[in-house]
Amino acid sequence: MRASIVDTIRRHLAFGLGNAAAWASRIAGRGSGASIKGMVMRKIYPELFDRLLTGKRIAVVSGTNGKTTTTHLLSAAMREALGESQVVTNPDGANLREGITSALSTNPSAPVAVLEVDEQVVPDVIAKGHPETLIMLNFSRDQLDRHHEINALGKKWRRALEQAGQNAPVVIANVSDPLVAWSAAPAHKIVWVNLGTDWSADSALCPGCGAMLTHLDGRWDCPGCELTEHPADYWVDGDEVVAADGRRWPLQLQVPGRFNRGNAACALAAAVEMGIDENAAITGMRRVESPAGRFAIGVFGNTRARLVLAKNPAGWAESLLVMESDPVILAIDSLIADGTDVSWMWDVEYEKLAGRRVICTGPRAADLAIRLSYAEVDHEVIPDISEALNGPFDGTVDVLATYSAFLRLCRLGGIELS
Amino acid sequence: MTHKIVIIYQSLLGIYGDAGNGKVLAKRLQWRGEPAEVVTVEPGQPVPSDGLVYLLGGGEDWAQVAAVKALSATEGDGLRTGLDRGAVLLAVCAGYQLCGRSFTVGDDELVHPGLGLLDIETRRGNERAVGEVLSTGTLPDGSTTTITGFENHGGFTTLGSDATPFARIEIGVGNGTDGFDGAIQGRVLGTYPHGPLLPRNPELADGLLEWALGRKLEALPKQVVNAEHETLRAQRFQVVRTTKNRAEQTR
Repeated sequence: MRASIVDTIRRHLAFGLGNAAAWASRIAGRGSGASIKGMVMRKIYPELFDRLLTGKRIAVVSGTNGKTTTTHLLSAAMREALGESQVVTNPDGANLREGITSALSTNPSAPVAVLEVDEQVVPDVIAKGHPETLIMLNFSRDQLDRHHEINALGKKWRRALEQAGQNAPVVIANVSDPLVAWSAAPAHKIVWVNLGTDWSADSALCPGCGAMLTHLDGRWDCPGCELTEHPADYWVDGDEVVAADGRRWPLQLQVPGRFNRGNAACALAAAVEMGIDENAAITGMRRVESPAGRFAIGVFGNTRARLVLAKNPAGWAESLLVMESDPVILAIDSLIADGTDVSWMWDVEYEKLAGRRVICTGPRAADLAIRLSYAEVDHEVIPDISEALNGPFDGTVDVLATYSAFLRLCRLGGIELS
Repeated sequence: MTHKIVIIYQSLLGIYGDAGNGKVLAKRLQWRGEPAEVVTVEPGQPVPSDGLVYLLGGGEDWAQVAAVKALSATEGDGLRTGLDRGAVLLAVCAGYQLCGRSFTVGDDELVHPGLGLLDIETRRGNERAVGEVLSTGTLPDGSTTTITGFENHGGFTTLGSDATPFARIEIGVGNGTDGFDGAIQGRVLGTYPHGPLLPRNPELADGLLEWALGRKLEALPKQVVNAEHETLRAQRFQVVRTTKNRAEQTR
């Protein structure tokens, strides 16, 4: 009895102090405050993460690119069918244990949780939360000065799925990514989705046996072992998601780009596995506008700017395709969150911007300027971000930014992060 | 005649933007009115023997082993023939290691034989070397140039008597054994700083081209590009010299 009272007090204390920390962080302009809140809560009540995960129906979204938007799409789909208050989610991209703890505490009694989870934390969530579904979007190189060797990550996911056995989630897996396919293999049920994107630069070798993968007619195969591209259960065709049985759903999303149509196909597949009607899911997903500031229009004095985030070569390759304005602004930072090594710039085909003018801004604008010169793309350098946004511009200007630069722009442009 | 800049195994050894070195070499020839093209070969394809400069880049452990296996077979003969004909090889990071006599990767102690183009041995260290580097490189013609780059490697390299150290380290780890980064031997230059090595070091880019061509090049007739290089170099020199915790803060 006494223990349970202490427990309750600790729980209340954790919630109260956590909220206070988040409030302080927001006032100080340091983001949503979700991570600091979670950190405080877990200090006071270390079991809180496990406790909050217990007894919920959980859908997890992970992978290198597209996590935040896909989480928004799936939670919107679930909320459309089940009601707003029935679904708790971490909408602000805070995807470590702290951020997840913090998000769950905002609505601890919600029966369903849609969680964006960092790749490193996925094994722990599988073990402790027994999620019903797990969307594995993609694995690509991201900040290699921090995370070495993405294969090691895949190994951890495999082990977690093996250990979960029959309790393992249904995996919604990207057919085009060999490392995803290999990592998902131990799951008892896999729903395969073809997202319609074509980044393959990070998957030269079979993650299972090390042989060189072959790529024939847009499909990959391992000549050395059984690993091969699986036929898809869902795929994207133009603006429609198509199921293998021939059913089609027009998407008509507000979020732009073919990569987001692929993300929506994954969210739809997960919603179906969670027992949600397809039409309700699609209706919900159409409401998603600017997940955690992505694709939001910020106002900077007389300038209106659409903010797009790209964190790595695969993300840049897709995001360059949705850049519409001329000029277009590229904002490059290299804080820890962006990766301090900007060599990835030479893996991005900036040549695609030829014919348009680019404004290079941010602390690493000089690195970008050289890259654009060798791509023969017309550009100017305005290192200060606010100055770069001064314009004047005809209409809305598109800004493609690395993570820290993106957060700074959201703050300057009055955009809420969740 | 069109000069060929040959990128060897982009899919295996190109993970740090290494293709950028090829772009820089080809453009700097083109901008001087000399026809040049970048040719990329993948495992399973024969390496052409008529390259002017060959490039090997950085890669993950498995990729490094796969690359050395492919290059040791007959499909790699083009590289050896090309070097005999006077071409130059720039080998970076994993590419540098695999040019040596032997190397180890990952957690195991297994010693993999390298291509034997450089008299060097590489063994895995306890801690990765990650961060900005600054060094003074000496090219085969005796000219020196300040090298700015970013290193990220877990192997440490010991030079044998046939290899000459490439660059004296001012800041950074490099070979990790001798106060130098990289090695030169025959027509091969190996070094750790990856990805945008040549975008950050245009003198080294021209030095490699002149070494391969056997003649001097005129100054690059691109005022704006030259100025951009100088701006970037000045920034990187300043950042690396004023930063205490190299790996965390050299940005």
